[in-house]
This record gives sequence, C-alpha cells and structure tokens, in this order.
Amino acid sequence: MNLTTTRMLRRTLLAFGLTAVATTTLAQNSITVYTAGPAGLAKSLAQDFEASSGIKVNVFQATTGQVMARLEAERANPQADVLISASWDTAVDLKKRGDLLPYNSPNAVKVPSNLKDSHYVAQGAAALAIVWNPASGKTQPKDWKDLASSQYANALTMPDPSSSGSAFGLVSTLIATQDYGWTYFETLKANGIVVPGANAQALNPVMQGAKAAVMGAVDYIALEAKAKGEKIEVIYPTSGTVLEARPAMILKTARNVDGAQKFIDFMLSTQGQNLVAKTRMLPARTDIQALRPGWSDIKVLSVKELNEQERSATLAKFKTTMGLK
Amino acid sequence: MQPRQRRVGLDTALFVGVLLALLILVVLPLGMVILQGVFPQLSLGLWEGLFSHWPGVLEDPYFLEALTNTLMLGLAVSTLSLGLALPLAYARGLYQVPGAFWWDLLILIPFMLPPYVGAMAWTFTLQPGGYSSQLLGVSAQGLLFSFPGIVLVMSLHLFPLIYFALSRTLSAIGWRYVDAARVCGASMTESAWRIVLPLSLPAVVASLLMVFSLAIEEYGTPSILGRPSQFLVLVTRIEEKMAEWPIDLAGAAFLSSVLLLLALVAYALHHWINTHHSHASTLGKYGALSAMPLSPKAKTLVLLGFGLVTVCAVVLPLAAMLLTAFSQTLSGGLAWSNMGFRHFAVIVSNEGGALSALMTSWGLAGLTALIAGMLGVATAFIAVRSPWRSRVAVDALSGLPNAMPGMVLAVGLILLWNRSWWPFPIYGTSAVLLFAYVCLLLPYPVRYVSTALRQISINLDGAARVSGANSGQVLWYILTPMVAPHLLISMMLVFAIASRELVASVMLAPPGLSTVSTHIFNQFAQGSPNEGMALAVVAVGLSTALLVLLNQWAPSK
Repeated sequence: MNLTTTRMLRRTLLAFGLTAVATTTLAQNSITVYTAGPAGLAKSLAQDFEASSGIKVNVFQATTGQVMARLEAERANPQADVLISASWDTAVDLKKRGDLLPYNSPNAVKVPSNLKDSHYVAQGAAALAIVWNPASGKTQPKDWKDLASSQYANALTMPDPSSSGSAFGLVSTLIATQDYGWTYFETLKANGIVVPGANAQALNPVMQGAKAAVMGAVDYIALEAKAKGEKIEVIYPTSGTVLEARPAMILKTARNVDGAQKFIDFMLSTQGQNLVAKTRMLPARTDIQALRPGWSDIKVLSVKELNEQERSATLAKFKTTMGLK
Repeated sequence: MQPRQRRVGLDTALFVGVLLALLILVVLPLGMVILQGVFPQLSLGLWEGLFSHWPGVLEDPYFLEALTNTLMLGLAVSTLSLGLALPLAYARGLYQVPGAFWWDLLILIPFMLPPYVGAMAWTFTLQPGGYSSQLLGVSAQGLLFSFPGIVLVMSLHLFPLIYFALSRTLSAIGWRYVDAARVCGASMTESAWRIVLPLSLPAVVASLLMVFSLAIEEYGTPSILGRPSQFLVLVTRIEEKMAEWPIDLAGAAFLSSVLLLLALVAYALHHWINTHHSHASTLGKYGALSAMPLSPKAKTLVLLGFGLVTVCAVVLPLAAMLLTAFSQTLSGGLAWSNMGFRHFAVIVSNEGGALSALMTSWGLAGLTALIAGMLGVATAFIAVRSPWRSRVAVDALSGLPNAMPGMVLAVGLILLWNRSWWPFPIYGTSAVLLFAYVCLLLPYPVRYVSTALRQISINLDGAARVSGANSGQVLWYILTPMVAPHLLISMMLVFAIASRELVASVMLAPPGLSTVSTHIFNQFAQGSPNEGMALAVVAVGLSTALLVLLNQWAPSK
C-alpha cells in the first residue's frame, strides 16, 4: 500500500504542478472576473464571451461579501480584472478610493443615466419586493404599510441591511419617505419582525410557511423560485420601492485592460443582456425585453446617496431600532 | 557510542522536517493572521499603524457579550458531547456491540455534513410549517433558535470526535487491568473509577479540547440558529467584519487572535492534565482485542442507546435532507404530488458542474487525508517521544488551527502566498486549497495519534532501539502499526471534513474551480434549498459508500 500511495501522491502532485503551470501560461490571453451570484449567469456570460472573443475568462463567483473579502485580502498582489458586485455602494466607494479605471462602453448608450458612471455601469438590476405566501391565511399585502398591521404580528422576515446592500437601500429610502420614517421600523419591530441574515435566509421561512411574508426580498430570486413552482407571490408595493443595480467595473490593477473592456462591452451587448434577462433580473439596457415586470411596471423611489459616515450612522440606528446586536 | 550518535542524527532530521512542515503549513499562515490583526494595513503590503484599529474593535459594546457567549458555547457543547459520547464509547470499546462497524459508520456521517446544512435541516424540521408540524403537528421554534438549541445541534454534530477517540482508547486498554484489579478484590465500580477512568483520561481530555476549539470556531450553526434570537458569538462578529462592506480584515484578524488565545488556554489546561495523569497501558504487542460479550439485558440497553443517539444525530437530519431533496418545492410541503427526482436529475446531468465539483472535492480530500495522516504521525511522534523540551510547542502549534475560523485562515494564506516574490505559483492553484485543508485538519491525526502514543510504553521503543533500530524504524515498524486504528479513523475524519469544507474553499479556490460545499452553498444563497439539499444528499451518500468500500478493501489488521 505504501508504494502505491507514494506513487499516487507523486502523480497527483505532478498534476497540481501542471495545472499551476497551465494557469500561469494561460494568463496572457485571459481575464479574471470576480462576480457576485447567480452562478448560472457568471458561467454563461464567460462561455459566450470566450466563444465570441477567444479570450479565456477565469470566473470567481461567490456572495458579494465573499468576493469583496477576497479582493481586500489580495490587495498586495491583485488578481481580478473585472468586478461585478451586487451592491452599488461598493462601486461608489472603490471609485472614491481610486481603485477603478474609467471606462465608457459604447454599448452603454441604452443604459439609464442613473445606472452608469464614468467608472462603472450596471449589469442589471433587481427591485425589492414583498414576497407573500398565500397559504399563510393573511390578506395579501399591497404596500409596505400593510405589513405593519397586527395581522402580520410574528409573521415577517427581512434581509439584514448590514449584509445586503439592497436591503440597506430600502431602509435608507423609507426612513426619508413621508408616512414612513423610523416610526415604520419601530412598528415592524413591535410586530415581531425577524432579521435572520441574507436574502435566502429571509426567504426560506416564508416558502415553508413558518412566516407569511418577506419585507424587502430581492425580487429576481423570488421570481425564479416561483417559476420553479414555489407557491409564493412577488408584490411590488404601491408607494414604490428601490432598485438595486449590480455595478460592473474594471479594477485599476487589471492586467488585461483591453480584455476587461471587451468583457464589459459583451456584457452590455444584446447577447449579454439577454443572458442577464434569463435570470429574471432587469437588464440594464432599457431596450432589452425583461422576463418579468419591467421598467415601466414598477414605481421606483430614488435612493439618496450617503457617504460612509451617514451610512454607518443609519445602520447603527437601524440596529438599535430593531434590537439587533 | 556510535549507534547513539546515529540515533540523534536521524531524530534531528525528523524533528527538523516536521518543524519545517509545521512552519510552512501552520506557523506562517496563522502568523500572517496575527500580524494582520496588529498591522491593519498589512493586506496592502504596508507595515504601518501598529495597533491603530484596536480601540475601534474594543469599542464594540457587545464584545464582552460575544466573548462570554463564545466561552459558554464551547463549554456547554464540550460537556453535552461528552455526555453523549461517553456511554456509547464505553460500550463500543470494552464490549462486543452487535453491528459495531455500522454504528461507527452512522456516527461518522454527521462529519460529512457541512454544519450549515445540518442547521438548515433542523430548521426545515422544527420551524412552524416544517416537517414535524406537517407530520406530527408540533414545532419547536423556541428551542431551535435559542442557546440550548444551538448547543444541542452542535453537540450532535461534534460528539463523534469524542466517541471515536475514546472507544479506540478503551479497546486498547482492554480488560487486563480491570481483571487484575478484580483479582485483587476491587469491585466493578471501583475498578471503573480507579482503573478505566484514569487510563482513558488523556483521550477524553484531548478530544474535549478538539470539541471546544471547534465549537468556538464554528460559524454555520451559530449564524443560522443564533441570528433570529440575536445570540452573538465571536465568530459571528468575525464573519460580519469579513462580509459587510467596508470589509474590516484587521478587525476580523484581531478577533481571530482572541479565539486562538482561548484555544491556547484550553491547550495549557489539557497539557497540564496530560502530564499529570498520563499512563502507559500498552506494554507489549497489540494484544487480541478482548471485548467482552454483553448480557442480553445490557445488549438491549446498549442498542437502545446507540439507536437513540444515532436517530437524533443522523437519522433525523438525514431524513429532513432527503425530504427536502425529493420535494419539488419547499412551499408544496409533504404531499406525494410534490415528490420527484427533478433536483437529482439536475445533478446527474452535470449541468451546473455538480459532478465535477464532487470529483474535485474527493481528490483534494483524499490527498489531504494522506498528507495530514503522514505529517500527523510524525508530529505526534515528536510531540510525545522526542527528548527536546520544545516538543510541547510542536504539540500546541499543531492543534491551533482547530480554533481558527476557516475564513480567516484563508486570509492568512492569501497574505502569505499571494506575493509576487514566490518563485513558483501556489496561490491561484489547487495547491493553496490543499495547504488550507492540511492546516485546518492536521489537529485530528495529531491528537488521535498522540493520545494513542502516550499509552504505548516507552519500553517498546527501548527494546527496538536496543535491537538496533533507528527512530525512523521505531516509528515505522513498531509505533505506526500500533496506532494504526487511531490513525485510520482520524484520516477518515479528515477525508469527511475536507470533502465538505466551505469557507476556506470559497476564499481560496482558483477561479473556475468549485467544490461540493461551495456548490451547495450557492444553491441555498440563490433560493433553491431543494437543489442544494439534493447535492448534499448525493455527496454524503457517495462519501459513505466510498468509506465502506475502502474499509472492505483495506487489508484487515
């Protein structure tokens, strides 16, 4: 056993070595893309881009938090060329830090101006919605207000704004909206709302029926679950909601700037945007058919851009209001 | 004189080799984490601002609460795990338990589940509208999302560590000493108290140390079950610092250093007990195992105990996983019309790369088990047998990774290997994953094997040396065969854990490579828990089958 083991070990180590060499040699005609989910989109964008450009794409796909942590840890020797985050704030901050290269893709013409900047541009967007389980026996909510009624006592979840950029956008917008403000969140707290973590953790209890509704769920995940047969309804509140756009950007430390720009162009091409639409996200380009309620069907509230201090102050206030530690 | 010189030469070579391996695999990455906790700009490559962020971290009004919760959790999980494992290990080690192999296999299964999958399975079972309320009309949300609930779920997951260490030790001790005591007039209770307990104490303490370190380091369960009731531990904070924008690597590294400190204190306690209460009980050739038959009454009781514990730790969570995996939708509930193979079909078609992920995980886990096993034996040998005083440091070092959250260790590895000055690329290849796994899992073989070595009389080494063996030969021909059962079970544990490791894998996997657990996690994060569970079921099933096959195929000792 010992001999074969050693041989096996040697062979495997050799294989690892070869992989290493292969990875480095490929680096010349390849780009590295770090992207937040969904995995299917990351994969299909990479494949189709490879097919059309001949440039190999190394994809690292994880949650926004994981992607950003890896990027941060790698700063001594950055690896990524393109970054796609699920939180607009990360792009704003990275630009301020001077970590991004400016790029204005010719394909971005049809992207609304609030979804692009000199240094970043949206891949697509999601809206925040109420997800309601009809089997819960509660009346169907139509607006955020309805969730504050006693009917929804102990029947609500909400994604955590400290880990979900989109949930934060909703909080910072609603507190500045007439008839809402912090009082609204105090009422939700009194109503026993639970803040169990990221989007999926807020959605699962509602799908199984432990809770009746999610306040502020990312809509495309819920729409996809519904399309797969989950008996849930995705409701866009009448007083309006916020959009969370997913910014794509080229890092200043990119090794293959030309390849990175071509990737952004492809992502914003008709072909790339149709791939985005397939995930039930809202494509960034208004001229691409969405497979879901589109730009004209949702009342969008404008989100006030906050600086870092304002943001952490709002978050702290949210935590004390909701009794979070 | 000459043989003695040669002996020292070889001992030194082994010592230096092990030290070098530990330096590269453990000291450097953990050191980078500690340095990052001290120099906040280290990730930028700057050695500036020493301690400058500590006030900010310590200002957290909940720091003390997180610290005490962490300690309480570690102690409670260790105690309950011991309570669960002790009677079973006692029966398994000293008596002929019917179906012993299968019980062992069942008890190994919790280890093949990523902790967050286990926690999800319990949530799907016990929350209102969950499986227990659909089938029996009862839910236990209050218990589940509470401190006792977290302790229970984590103990059911971690008790196998104590069970395996203790049962193997007890069976090595056997009945000889009890028989001798009985001949001298001791009662059964007396001999249990004065013979079996002291002899098995090192194994109990060593495995308790591991459970404690793992309990203070684990993220999945406290995160999923603790958040709804705002139960806060240090790891929850570490994870927040790592995942919430703006990322605070330095704060996370500092809090991880606190965890390491806790683990070191626990280690000091363990070391003190071991040096004061260590007894060699294996004085000669590994004898025929002298397990006694159980009386019919005792047999029923023992089987009942095994049954009860495995139902709670294995059958229930697995059943919940299976139900979720076979349900078309979560909201459809437990209806025949809602059952089907849809989620399995997706896996078998390898559409999302699930099968490739499985092969990647297995390959890495197998290699990890081999390397950690070999290095573990050598490290344990140094830690227990070498004449150098620094052997304590070797022992302590090799156990530290146990208390390091995988996410933070990954940062340490990135800081270390992602440098342009390495002449060969490690970062960005699968090798860095292998480094991470070996580092994280080295404590298992080291603890298991060193506990076994402590029980082997040094006279056996002496006898071999007198006959002209050098230390390498003593290790290879005398000691390794004697500790083989401990080594094998620890390598199985390593394989089981490495094949489902999540957090380090997410951070370190080269772009394009995905492992089983990153795949499952992705499904959960994208709102498809059923698909995630289906892959978890397939992975656990195949890993179990693999271990059974290996066991059949391995030459029986």
